[in-house]
Amino acid sequence: MRMPSVIVGQYIPGDSLLHRLDPRTKIMLSLAIVVALFSVHSQWSYMMIGVLVLVAVAASRVPFKMVVRGLRPIVFILLLTFMLHLFMDPGEELFVVWRLRATREGLALGLTTAARLILLIMATSLVTLTTSPIVFTDGLEKLLNPFRVIGLPAHELAMMMTIALRFIPTLLEETDKIMKAQMARGADFDSGGLITRAKAMIPILVPLFVSAFRRADELAVAMEARCYRGGAGRTRMRQLRLGALDAIAAVGVVAYLTAAVVLF
Amino acid sequence: MEPIIRIENVSYTYEGGEQDQVEALLDVNVRVDAGVFVAVIGHNGSGKSTLAKHMNAILLPTRGDVYVLGMNTRDRSMLWNIRQTVGMVFQNPDNQIVATTVEEDVAFGPENLGVPPHEIRRRVDEALTLVDMRGYEQAGPHQLSGGQKQRVAIAGVIAMRPKCIVLDEPTAMLDPVGRQEVLRTVRRLASEEGITVVHITHFMSEAVMADRVIVMDDGRIALDGGPREVFSSPDALRRLQLDVPQVTELAFELSRRGVKMPRTPLTVKELAEDVDALLSGRYAR
Repeated sequence: MRMPSVIVGQYIPGDSLLHRLDPRTKIMLSLAIVVALFSVHSQWSYMMIGVLVLVAVAASRVPFKMVVRGLRPIVFILLLTFMLHLFMDPGEELFVVWRLRATREGLALGLTTAARLILLIMATSLVTLTTSPIVFTDGLEKLLNPFRVIGLPAHELAMMMTIALRFIPTLLEETDKIMKAQMARGADFDSGGLITRAKAMIPILVPLFVSAFRRADELAVAMEARCYRGGAGRTRMRQLRLGALDAIAAVGVVAYLTAAVVLF
Repeated sequence: MEPIIRIENVSYTYEGGEQDQVEALLDVNVRVDAGVFVAVIGHNGSGKSTLAKHMNAILLPTRGDVYVLGMNTRDRSMLWNIRQTVGMVFQNPDNQIVATTVEEDVAFGPENLGVPPHEIRRRVDEALTLVDMRGYEQAGPHQLSGGQKQRVAIAGVIAMRPKCIVLDEPTAMLDPVGRQEVLRTVRRLASEEGITVVHITHFMSEAVMADRVIVMDDGRIALDGGPREVFSSPDALRRLQLDVPQVTELAFELSRRGVKMPRTPLTVKELAEDVDALLSGRYAR
C-alpha cells in the first residue's frame, strides 16, 4: 500500500522534468527570474521571460489553473497598481473618466508592472508546486549552509520548518477536537460581531497553546533520546544530487535570461 | 558479565519548590541482564516511569548511580554512547515522531549518529520490516493509527541498533487493536531479535509475557521475580493497588476452595490445560 506524502502547502506530486530538478536548482533559477524581472524595462524582455515561465509551466505538467490560482491573493494589488499607473502617470492623453486622465505612458507602465508581478508569482509558485515541502526544506538547508560562517543557523531553521510541517496536521486535529468539546458545552463560534467571535476563540487558543508547549517539551526529550545534538556530525538518508538535468537547466535558463536582459 | 543496566542505590527527588519535593525513587537497586525481557509494573505515581527515564540518562539520580554497560550515566562524555545502547519509546506516539514521513522519521536516529546514507536506507528498510510497516514509507504520521505510530517509533529506535529498548507505557494511549499490534512487535524484539526489553506498563496482562516482573510501589521495588512467582501472591498485589490477571485470580479462588492447582497459570491456555488435567484425573479415578 502506497500513500501520498503529506500535502501541506500546494505541492502537486508528479514526475515531470521540473519535479526531477534538484530543489536548489529550482530555488536559484526562480530567484534568477525574479532578479531578471526587476532589471528589464522593455516589453520585449517581459515577453521573453513570459515565454520562459510558460514553457516551465508546460514542462511541470501542473494544470495551468493551479498555477493561476496562485495569483488570486494578489488580484487586488494587481488591479490597484494598474489603475494607479493608468490614471496617475503623466503623458499623452488616452481618455478621461470623470476627472481622471488615462495616459498612453500610464497604460504601458501599468501593463508591464502587472506582467512583472504575475510572472514573479508564477515563477515562484512553480517551485512550491513541484517540490515537496521535505525536499524543499532540504534544498533550503543546503543553500543556506555556506552562510553558517556569518552565524546563520541553517540546520536549525530547516529543522524548525520540518517540525512545523510535521505538527500542522496534528495541531489542526487538536483544534478541531477542542472546538467540538467547547461546542458540546454550549460555546458559540459563529454568531456575534468580529470582537465577540474573536473572544470566543480564547477558550480554544489557551488549551491549544498549553498542549503545544507540552508537545514541544516531550518532543525535545524524545529527540535527545534519539541522540539529536544539532546539525554537526549529522548525515542524511536522502542525498540531494545535482545531475546533468540541473546543469542543462541552469545554463539554459541563465543564458536565456541574460539575453532577455542584455538584448533590449 | 556486566549487565546492560545496573542501578545502584538510586534515589530521585523531583524538585518542585521547597515544599513540593516528591521522592519518586528511594534506594532502588536493579540489574537488567542482556537478553532478558523485563516488565516493570506499578500503579500511577509508583515511580516506574521515573525509573525508566534513568535508564538512558534522561534523568540523573539525586543519589546513587546508574551504569549502562559499565558507563555511568553521570559521565557526559558517554551520554551519546549510552543513548545509542539503550533506546527509549515514549507513551505519546504523536510527540515523539519528528519527521513528516515514516521513513524520514525512522532515519532520524541513524542520521544523528552520522551513519552513511546507503547504510541508513538499509537500516530503515530492515526496521520497518521488523515492525510490519513496510509500504508506509511515504505516509505522514497523521495518516497512521496510534498503534502504527507507536510501531514507527519502535522502528526509529531499532534503526539505531540498540542493545536494549526501554518502552515507557507504550500502550497506555492506544485502543485494544493498537495495543495488540505493539505487544506483538515488542515480543518479537525480545524473542527473535535478542534485544533486551524493559517494558513499563500498568496492564497486568502485558507483564505476563515477560521473563521477569518488577513491581514498583512508592518509589521502591515491592516484588521482583518471574511472572509466575510474582502473580502467585494476589493478596500482595492487591495491597499494591494492582490487579491480578483474571486467569490467575480464578486459579487462586479455585485453590482457596480446595482445588489443588498444580501451578500459577498465566494465560487462558495454561489454565485450561490445568483444569483439563485435573478433571480427567478425577474421572480416571
